[in-house]
Parts: sequence; structure tokens; C-alpha cells
Amino acid sequence: MHDPHIILILTTLLGAVGLWLMLPRGTHRGRSVGIILTAVALGAGASQLPYLGDWLTESIFGVLAAVTVVSAAATIAFRNPVYCAIWFGLTLLGTAGLFLFAGAQFLAVATIVVYAGAILVTFLFVLMLAQPEGKAAYDRVSWEALLSAVLGMVFVGVLSMAIVGVFTAPREAKERPVAPPAAKELAENVLVPQHVAALGTELFGKHLIAVEVAGALLLAALVGAAVIVAQGKMEEKNERNAQQKRD
Amino acid sequence: MSPEIALLNNYLIVGAILFGLGLIGFMSRRNMIVMFLAAEMMLQGVSLSLVAWSRFRNDFGGQMLVIFIIAVAACEAAIALGLVTTLFQRSGRLDIADWHALREANQPAFVDEPISEETSTEEPLPTLARAGVAPQVPPVKTDYRPNV
Repeated sequence: MHDPHIILILTTLLGAVGLWLMLPRGTHRGRSVGIILTAVALGAGASQLPYLGDWLTESIFGVLAAVTVVSAAATIAFRNPVYCAIWFGLTLLGTAGLFLFAGAQFLAVATIVVYAGAILVTFLFVLMLAQPEGKAAYDRVSWEALLSAVLGMVFVGVLSMAIVGVFTAPREAKERPVAPPAAKELAENVLVPQHVAALGTELFGKHLIAVEVAGALLLAALVGAAVIVAQGKMEEKNERNAQQKRD
Repeated sequence: MSPEIALLNNYLIVGAILFGLGLIGFMSRRNMIVMFLAAEMMLQGVSLSLVAWSRFRNDFGGQMLVIFIIAVAACEAAIALGLVTTLFQRSGRLDIADWHALREANQPAFVDEPISEETSTEEPLPTLARAGVAPQVPPVKTDYRPNV
């Protein structure tokens, strides 16, 4: 039983069944069993992860990854879409923490400001505007919950096996080994203390044209969103006018 | 396994899990807003992997890609929410199944199976026996929503 592949396959199947039980299926039966199964699968998967070198790094990474993954599972499992959005906010905070932990300080702040500050609040606005009272029937059932849970977890399992296989497979002598970066090199480039200055130099130096294109894309999206919403309003108005004429 | 490789390995696996959970949510949920949250979650998983690679290769390229992912996600959210509000004004529901008329020509129509009403698990409140003359109460107009 110490073959990591067998443990990974079992973890995947356990997680698939647990997620299936957790997803909305029209009944409350089996939800707590699903939560327990998913938690067991998460723990078994986490026990297979390699040690990060020292206990502080390990525990910080563990807490951040656990927050991210658990809140992501809660996002797709909750029936009330408001709770889904709030759990998704926690996922964003977890990913922002992981970004910070990997040395991407600007991206961590940008994720919180852009996602949690703008996109998520807009989602909540639309929910408040659009959600009818009470829990809607379509929030309490899913499309093919078992099929999608199995498919998604098999995808995760295959991907993790591939990732683990790349780093643990014995290599041919002529192949260039994956060289981890030295701490000194990292401190001079990606983990440089003047992080935002280095990032800005890279962004507005090497990727200037891409920045311009992204600006044009944002403008196009803004105009497009305004047109879509305005067109719906116009049609409504026309219908109302036509009805008034008929009356 | 050296610590840097172990860190990359762990980040890639967390990214894969986020992507997989987003995939499950996008395929199985029927509320349009939850579907878009799941799509954003898939983007987060990819961003996490890119940041980990950026650190491992000691190169800012991965972080650049994530900056552009965030910009595209903002565009996507604007268009998606415009579409969701428009669709909601037409059907009055956030259910994606209302738009099954857009399916492929050879697919059968979607039939919603009825599900049982949500049963409350709370104990019923105690009631008093009715007594006396019923007072004349003007009907209260409730134009607020009691819950969301």
C-alpha cells in the first residue's frame, strides 16, 4: 500500500464520491458523509505532498492551501448563491496568500483589489438584484452531479500523477535535469526587494505592446457590456410602447 | 526533492485542484452566477501554477501572464454580468436551463424533474388558541423582500 499511485487513485475516487454527495442533489441526505469523505481525501492527498524543507514554510503553505481548497469546495457545494460568492471571496484571499508566499507581492494585492474588491462585489450586486426570495429550485439540483464530480476528480488525479511523475521519474543521463534556482539568483531577480519596480520595468519594457492591447480590450469590453445592457432596456421600452399603443 | 522543487510541485497540485473544482462547479451548477464564479476559480488555478513556474524559472514572464489574466477576467466579468442581467430581465430566473432552446439541433429538449419542497427542520412555534373578536387590521403592503 505504499505505492503513491494507489493512494492517489483511492484519494481521487474518495474525493469524487465525497464531492458528489456534497453537490446539491435535491435532498440533504448524505451531505455530512460527503463532507467527511472529501476531508479524508484531502488529508490523504496532503500527506503525499513532499516536505518543503522546514516546519515554518510547511505550516504556512499548509494553512494557505487548506483555506484555498476547502473554500473552493464550499463555493461549488453551497445551495445559496450568496454563500457561494462569499466562500469564493475566501478562495481569493487564500490564492492571494499563496501568491504572496511565492514572492508575487503585486499580484497578491491586485487579486484582492480587482477580484475581491470589484468583481466579487459586482457579482453580489447582481445577486441582490436578481435573486428571487427563498432558495430557488434550480439552486437545489445539479446537472449530472455524479458524472461531473467523477470527471473533475479524475482530471485532478491524472494531472497530479503527471506532476509528481515529472519530478520523481528517473532521468536519462543526457537529459538536462530540472535545476532548482539558487537562493542568491532568486534574490537578484524574482524575489528582489524592489519587487514592484522590477515588475514594472518588465511590464512596460518587454510587454509594452501587450499592455496597450489589454487597454484596448478593456475598453471594448466596457462598451460591449454597456451595449448589451442598454439593448435589453431598449427592447423592453419598445415592447411597452407597442403595448400602450394597442391599449 | 529539494525545497524549491517541492514548492513548485505543491503549488502545481493546488492549482490543479482549484481548476478541477472549478470544472466540476461549471459543469454541475445551474445558477448562472455560480457558473461564472466557478469559471473564475479555474482562472485562479491557472494563475497559481503560472506564479509557481515564475518563481521556479526565476523569470517574471509567468507573473506577466497572470497580470493579463486578471485584465481579461475583468473584461469577462463585465460582459458576463451584462449578459446575466439581460437574461434575467427576460426570464425572471437565473436558471441556465431556461435557455435550452439554444441547444444543438439533434438534442432532446430538457425536462425539469420536479423536486420536493424544502422541508423546514425547525420546531414549529407554539401557538395560542384563538379567543375574542378578530381585530380589523389594514392589510400591510410588503414591498420589501424578507430574505435573499
